[in-house]
Amino acid sequence: MGLTEEPVISISGLWMNYSDRMVLRGIDLEVYRGQIIGYIGPNGAGKSTTVKIMLGLVEGYTGSVRIFGRDIADGDTAYKRRIGYVPEIAELYDSLTAREYLTFIGELYGMKRNEADAKAERLMGLLNLEKAYDMRIASYSKGMKQKVLLISSMLHDPDILFLDEPLSGLDANSVMVVKEIFASLAAQGKTIFYSSHIMDVVEKISSRIILINGGDIVADGTFAELQEQSREGSLEDIFNQLTGFDKYRDIAGEFVAVLGEGATHE
Amino acid sequence: MNDFRVLKLLDRLRGVFKRAGVDYEMLRSILQVKLTMDGRRTPTVLGTQKSGQETEGSPLRVQWIYLLLGLMLILFVVPDSNYMLTMSVLFAVVMFMITTTLISDFSSVMLDLRDKNILFSKPVDRRTLNMAKSLHVLIYLVSLTLTLTAPSLVVALFKQGVLFFLIYAVEILLMDGFILVITALLYLLIMRVFDGEKLKDIINYIQIILSIGIAVGYQLVPRLFNMTDLTGSFQPVWWQYFIAPAWFAAPFEVLVGGSRGTEFTVLAVLAVIIPLILLYTYIKLMPLFERSLQKLAEQGAAGKDSGRYPRLLSELLCRDKAEAMFFRFTWAMMRNERDFKLKVYPTVGLSLVLPFIFIFNQVWSSDPAVHTESKAHLFIYLSALLLLTVVQMLRYSASYKGAWIYRTIPLPETAPVYRGMLKAALLRLMLPLFVLESAVFLWLFGARILPDLAAVMLALPLFALICFRVLPPALPFSEKYEAAKQKEFSVSGFVLIFILMGMAGLHYMFTLISPGVYIYLVILAAVNVWAWRAAFPRKGSQSGQIPTLGA
Repeated sequence: MGLTEEPVISISGLWMNYSDRMVLRGIDLEVYRGQIIGYIGPNGAGKSTTVKIMLGLVEGYTGSVRIFGRDIADGDTAYKRRIGYVPEIAELYDSLTAREYLTFIGELYGMKRNEADAKAERLMGLLNLEKAYDMRIASYSKGMKQKVLLISSMLHDPDILFLDEPLSGLDANSVMVVKEIFASLAAQGKTIFYSSHIMDVVEKISSRIILINGGDIVADGTFAELQEQSREGSLEDIFNQLTGFDKYRDIAGEFVAVLGEGATHE
Repeated sequence: MNDFRVLKLLDRLRGVFKRAGVDYEMLRSILQVKLTMDGRRTPTVLGTQKSGQETEGSPLRVQWIYLLLGLMLILFVVPDSNYMLTMSVLFAVVMFMITTTLISDFSSVMLDLRDKNILFSKPVDRRTLNMAKSLHVLIYLVSLTLTLTAPSLVVALFKQGVLFFLIYAVEILLMDGFILVITALLYLLIMRVFDGEKLKDIINYIQIILSIGIAVGYQLVPRLFNMTDLTGSFQPVWWQYFIAPAWFAAPFEVLVGGSRGTEFTVLAVLAVIIPLILLYTYIKLMPLFERSLQKLAEQGAAGKDSGRYPRLLSELLCRDKAEAMFFRFTWAMMRNERDFKLKVYPTVGLSLVLPFIFIFNQVWSSDPAVHTESKAHLFIYLSALLLLTVVQMLRYSASYKGAWIYRTIPLPETAPVYRGMLKAALLRLMLPLFVLESAVFLWLFGARILPDLAAVMLALPLFALICFRVLPPALPFSEKYEAAKQKEFSVSGFVLIFILMGMAGLHYMFTLISPGVYIYLVILAAVNVWAWRAAFPRKGSQSGQIPTLGA
């Protein structure tokens, strides 16, 4: 990553508050082509909010967000054509069949109907869902829905992927396939920005890890760099240390103590 | 996915949309998806109808009832004079029907939260999206209104001439816009003031009103013609300026009837101006509406009254801990489960009005004997039909998968589950309805019917038990709603209605002898005690088996 290269995403001084509390307190961030970014932090740290702001789903922030060099607040939604998104909660129109849904999403991204259909069918087949392609999504299992969401986010071959817990519900084999897909896409120069709570996965596939806590970036670097900074072994330990969470043994101990309290049941 | 006729019609306006800065291709595919999804939704109005068939098509599958009502509307466009009165009534009926249907059946579409995440994250500009959303609701509204007004429109053309027809047609469109905007603004207001849960509750209440409205309307509309003679002259009063149907009626009076009063002119102008102003406001407020929608996603604080009241009742009425536990569980589920309320509340409304429909003639007659001798109050038995629906619906839940809990807890027998469930249903839904109904009946028939009402009250738990035994047994909230379509309960339903009629008949026979009601009361009490014991034996036996959890 040379310094001459233009960042794909560039955020500066991003503040956001919902009615009662501050969610983001001055995020500054530059992301370049080919990076796989693991965006981690405790629940409520502001991860999803950051992603939603970049997608234009949340308004009312202060600061500037530039994607592909253009400020997203300028009202032109064309930049979304080069973005794919997997939301945290599997939200989709599940009374449609996968064929109908994926074709529709493809069209929204400006693809031709036939092209979207053909491509989606092949991708579904590759993820072992060819039989389910004409079934309603409502009848799918969690993992199948997740696969549909993943396909819908990549169908139009975007340059940036925003993924919120992209591997949830997938079996071990599918996880391997999807991880490999991410790696190949990054090698092609695409940018992947994803958040997850599963530290092992983040540790293995991210080329850069950003940890936010309380609306601030508290760590930013490769896994090796973070290890060096905090002198901890695993990302889980680093996470605990940086978010100031060291009482897990006490809490667990107390939890078990409460379970044993009171009269014994028959 | 079908290619809808409406869309082909819209294709002709492609140029207009393009000029307005709308991405037509995008608009078209959004609408197509939306219409397809509508076709797969079961309408909640008259939701008890067969809903098995999978026809994709218009959002309206209950159209026949609107057509029927539309035929009745013809009567209003036939008279040649007094347009103010006839057209006011006509527009009042149409507006009532359209508004309630819009709210109960189409709210889910207007308030669809998924739209935001799915559509906003795509490169679709706001203008196209808002246009698609408004058009979607408008297509629905117009098709609904056309079904309702088509018969009277055609008759009006031949009977009243072209001018009348044109005013009528234009006003229908204005009225649709008016209703759409008023509803949206109402939602906006509720969302600003209350939380999302409240809005969903209000939608439920509207559904009750709708089913009452249809049931009562069936009875009342024909009678209306006997009671009011349509020749009475119309006197404008100040408050009529606030009644929307009066605005819409005024243009007929002015342009067709030839009245020249200032009042009529003002009203006629209002009919045009107000919808246009509202439409403009709506477009301005659209972004605010979208933002407020987010509130629906927030979990409103669940009410706090769930604790003490049911706990007290469960301790009073239940024999053992397990039974009390399931009493509280059923109570809480009935209170919170949205789908349960959606399916059952319309029946609550229907059960409330059904007895009144049957006694209508009696009460209105001037014969004094009604108030001293009539046995018409026994029609109160009809309100027990609610139990039929409730006992049938208690087995379903949107979160039916949670039923694994029955298998994993150490539950020696299922009798307490069912007992607790039935008691909760009786107390939470049946009793309030019955008390309300009794109060009105007492007012209509006098205190002499008190013993009869007491007997009916004892008959209710017995009937609940009979419903439970006749319908196939199932653990509460353990089956999927879709399963409701496959299992037709119509045979059992008919059997149960006959049993209920039999119970009412028996009651009637007892009333023929002078202390009969009291004998009936004692018998009922004894049978109740015996039946509840017999149905749920203390230990063992077949009912102790946990039925297989069907999906």
